[in-house]
Parts: sequence; structure tokens; C-alpha cells
Amino acid sequence: MTQADTTMAAELSAEEEAILKEVGYSDPTSRGATTVLVDHALRLTRSEHEGVEVMSIQDALMRYDWVQDLMFSLVEPDENELLRQASELLQDPIGHFLYVHPGAKVSAPLQSFTVMERPQERQFTHNITVIGEGADVEMISGSAVPARVHAGHHVSIEEAFIGKGARCRSISIEHWGSRMSVDSYARTKVDDGAEVTTNQIMLSSIKRSVSDTQMFIGADARCSDQAIIFAPSGTERVFNTQTTLLAPGARSESIARMVSAGGTITNNALLIGAAEHTNGFLGCDGLLLSSDGEITATPALRAKSAEAVLSHEASVGMIDRDKLTYLMASGLSEDRARDLIVQGFLSLKDDYIPAGLRQRVTEMIASAQSGGM
Amino acid sequence: MLDVDHMTVAIGDAILLADISLTVPAGETHVLLGPNGSGKSTFLSAIMGLEPFELTAGTIRFRGIDLAGLGVSERAQHGIGMAFQRPPSIEGVSVAEFAAAVGGADRLAHGAELLDLEAFVDRDVAVGFSGGEIKRWEVLKLFLQKPDFFLFDEPESGVDMEHISAVGMAINELVAEPGPDGAKRGALLITHTGLILDYVNADQAHIMNGGRIIHSGPPKELFAHIQASGYVAPG
Repeated sequence: MTQADTTMAAELSAEEEAILKEVGYSDPTSRGATTVLVDHALRLTRSEHEGVEVMSIQDALMRYDWVQDLMFSLVEPDENELLRQASELLQDPIGHFLYVHPGAKVSAPLQSFTVMERPQERQFTHNITVIGEGADVEMISGSAVPARVHAGHHVSIEEAFIGKGARCRSISIEHWGSRMSVDSYARTKVDDGAEVTTNQIMLSSIKRSVSDTQMFIGADARCSDQAIIFAPSGTERVFNTQTTLLAPGARSESIARMVSAGGTITNNALLIGAAEHTNGFLGCDGLLLSSDGEITATPALRAKSAEAVLSHEASVGMIDRDKLTYLMASGLSEDRARDLIVQGFLSLKDDYIPAGLRQRVTEMIASAQSGGM
Repeated sequence: MLDVDHMTVAIGDAILLADISLTVPAGETHVLLGPNGSGKSTFLSAIMGLEPFELTAGTIRFRGIDLAGLGVSERAQHGIGMAFQRPPSIEGVSVAEFAAAVGGADRLAHGAELLDLEAFVDRDVAVGFSGGEIKRWEVLKLFLQKPDFFLFDEPESGVDMEHISAVGMAINELVAEPGPDGAKRGALLITHTGLILDYVNADQAHIMNGGRIIHSGPPKELFAHIQASGYVAPG
């Protein structure tokens, strides 16, 4: 497979590039590989690394007979009505297939984005990612709409397969329209000895977003995921996660940091220790910026082995008045003091978030707090 | 510079400080001495405008401006800064980020070196700091904030002997440096142990007891008197 085989180089418009840069897009020549899906078609697929293939899901199904065995292997189409509809609609599936060859070490991040340009659109996507055994990659993904698009419905299915001993660090940033509904289903199978770090950043106003994530972690594999969830007034976010430690030595740490500025956030997290010598932690911390909002955090643990070590912490509260006063006594305005406390609460300086994106995320929080998003 | 005139401070119906008057001229450092519960920290908190303390009578003027009705931020923006006795932890905000937020990033390296806190610049503010480190941080904070008038609430308490001199010298440097317009700065400092008096260039001391200032005089003389006779006015 050569680079030319997997490149579809339609140009993005200046507007498309601008809105995608807001969620982490960079010039494709600076990335290991790029996919951009606009409405119902993959507009751009390009690989800069010989160990990475990107193509449409239709092409992948025709090219590799094993892809059909992966599709819907982690997501059950009969799980609910929406998935059933999606599976029936996907006669001609829309989405990307990203394949990192076994052993490939890709220093430049792989990037993939979804754009919805038509108002009131109903968009179904299905992406499959395969990271080969021993590969090492960093991934950036995002979703965006132009400012003129407020309403619509996006349904996505993501199935990811992380090979034995592979390392994968990913960050995803969403920025949908303020009256949109989004249902996303993400399933990740992490093979033995792999290391996976994921970060999800959900900050923009949205009518309703339901995120349903499941991870299945193999022997001696490690997963660390962090979600930063913001709900301005008028936004409802439901965040369901299930992490299953399948085999001895599997470890996970999941942390959700939620901030409501008048919106509603529901976080249901379930950690399952399905084998001996597994170790997992759930952290759910919520910060209410106004009493109009609501945060429900429900961490749950299920041990199927006496030697599974599982723990959780959960907290929800308002901004600490003492901290606010302290910062104001240092000369900050109340708004600036609140921003700083919220940014600290969300731990934006974590190494998980690429430095280039950190400033942008900080700006998004300030904008979201002031009602600008 | 700071003029407190017949000030009474209360929380609800409980009067904590009664009829206190005190003036700190520009360029001077004054010291408040008093036993536990005498009202020293309440006095500083009332000047800073911290809740839940209420000014129920009298006035506090800073450079002629009546502070009544001004919030904490406004008082800070007018040039008053306070080293807290027990600051809250600000999780997720590093010392360096705090410095940037208050506009003091360019002063961080020097202040941190002076107070032996170079290793703390990437640590979260007051998270996991020992008692002495917190006190040094609070002085460093004022280096970053650079107010014109400093309120120090027991800056040497919990600080090991090696670092008390560093704290004292830092305080001297803060107060001695003229403001941007060349104006002199000033300070009011609470001390319990008196150890800091060996290092700080204090001009005047006041004994506070029972919510009142009962005597004023030269700092070292007054402290020697307290060591001999307790927190009472010299006969």
C-alpha cells in the first residue's frame, strides 16, 4: 500500500478549514494522516506515513475482507432503536477506516474530523480504527459546524481495535450547533499489553448530547481516560461509560470533570473488574457555577473477582467562596477569578492535552461561561 | 497612607473590634502584637474587606479613599494586598499560572529565588505545601501582585529558622521598593512570636488586646516589654 492509494485530496474551503482549526485541525502535511468527513461524504483522506492507511469505510470493506468482521463487532445493532436504524441505513456506510500497520511508529498525530454543513441535517457515520500490534500513535479528532448551522441530528458509531502492545494517545474536541442533538457510540477493544490514553473535551452549547462509551481492556493493558464536560444554560449532556477489565493485569483510570453553568450533566460510569489482579479507578467531579444547573454523578463498581481492586470518588459542589475571595484579594475580578478556578478544576495543564490545543480550550471555556458558544 | 479612624467591626450582633484608630504613614512598616483572639487577624481582614466582617462604625481610608462599600477586588485594585494566614488550596492552578493571571510573571523568578521557592513554580497554589511553605508562598504572592500596601498575617509562623530571615528580607524589599509613580509603600504586620522583628525594618508597634489597641511604641522595646510583662500597656 502506498500513500497515493489512500489519498483523496479534495480541497477544503477556507470556512471549513477555519472551523476545523477551532477543534484541532492542522495542515495535512504536518499530520501523519488526515480524514475529513463533510455531511455525507469523505471530503479528504490523506496519509503522510507509509505505515498508515486511511480510506472510506466502503473502500475498506471492498479492499480487506476482514473489515466486514470488525464492523458491528463491538456495537450491537439491536442495542436500541437508534442503532438499529443506523445499521439499516448504512447500506452505503459513511465513515472512515484508519489502519495503522503493526509496528508503525508515527510521530505526527493522525487527525480525523466530521463537519455538518447543512442545517437540520440527519447525519449517520461509522468509523473503524485499527491500531496494529506494537504500533505507536497520537490521534486528534473533532467535530464542527459552521456558525450558521444550529440544528440537526448527528449519530456516530466508532469501533476501535488497539493491538497487542500498541500505544495510542487521543484527544477529541466537539463543537456542534447549539440546538443540535448528538448520539455517539464508541467502543474500544484494547488488546493485551496495550496502553491507551483518551481525552474528550465537550464544551459547546448543544441541545442534547448522549455519549455512550465502552472499553474492553485485555491482560496487562492500561487505559487512562479523561473527560472534560461543560454545560452552559440550555445544554443537556448525558455521558455513559462502561469500562471492563477483562483479564489479569488490566488497569484503568477514568476521570470525568464536569462543569455546569446552568445546563444539565448526567454521568453514569460503570467499572467492571471481570478478572483477578485487575485495578481500576473512577473519578467523577462536578462543579456547579449556578444553582440553575444540575449535575448527577453516578459511579458504580462491579467486581467479578475477589482480587479485583476497584475504587471511585465523586463530588459535586459550587465554587468555593474562600477560593474566590482569595483570588479577588489578589486583584482579580470576580469573573477572572471564576475562570481561573474553573480552568484549574478542569486541569487543563495536564500533559494529556497537546500544548497547542490548551490555549484554545481555555478560550472556549471563557467563551462558554460568558454565553458566547 | 492607611488611616483607620474609630473603627468598629462586627459579625452580626457580635462586636469584635471597638473604636480602633491607627495610622500607617507611607514608607513605614507597623507591627501588631497581641495574644490569641485579641482581634489582630480580624483587623487585617476588615481592612481587606473579607467576609463576614462588617464595618459598623468609623472609617478606613487608604490614600484618602474611603474603603467603605468597596469589595475585596476593588480594595486590591486600589493597591492593598494581604498575605493570608491560612490560604485555600487552588487545585489545578500552578504558581506560574497564578503569576501570569495577576500580571506578575516577570517577578516570579526573583521572588521565588529570594524565598527559596524555585521548585514550587510548577506546583499548584498551596496544594500540599507545609505550614512554612505556605507562609513563604504568601509573601511570594505579594511579590507577584505588587500592591502598594501590605498586610502580613503572622508571616513567620511555622517557618523554619533558616527561612525566617529570607521572609524578613523579602518583606523589607517589598516595602522599600517605590511604587510605579515613585510613591512609598507601607505595611502592617502581625507577629505572634516576634522572631520576624530581628529581620524586618519595623517603625512602630501596637499592642492589641480585647479588640482594642491599648498601646503603641518602638517595636523592639514593646516586644521586650511583652516578653517581661505580657500583653498589657507599660505602666
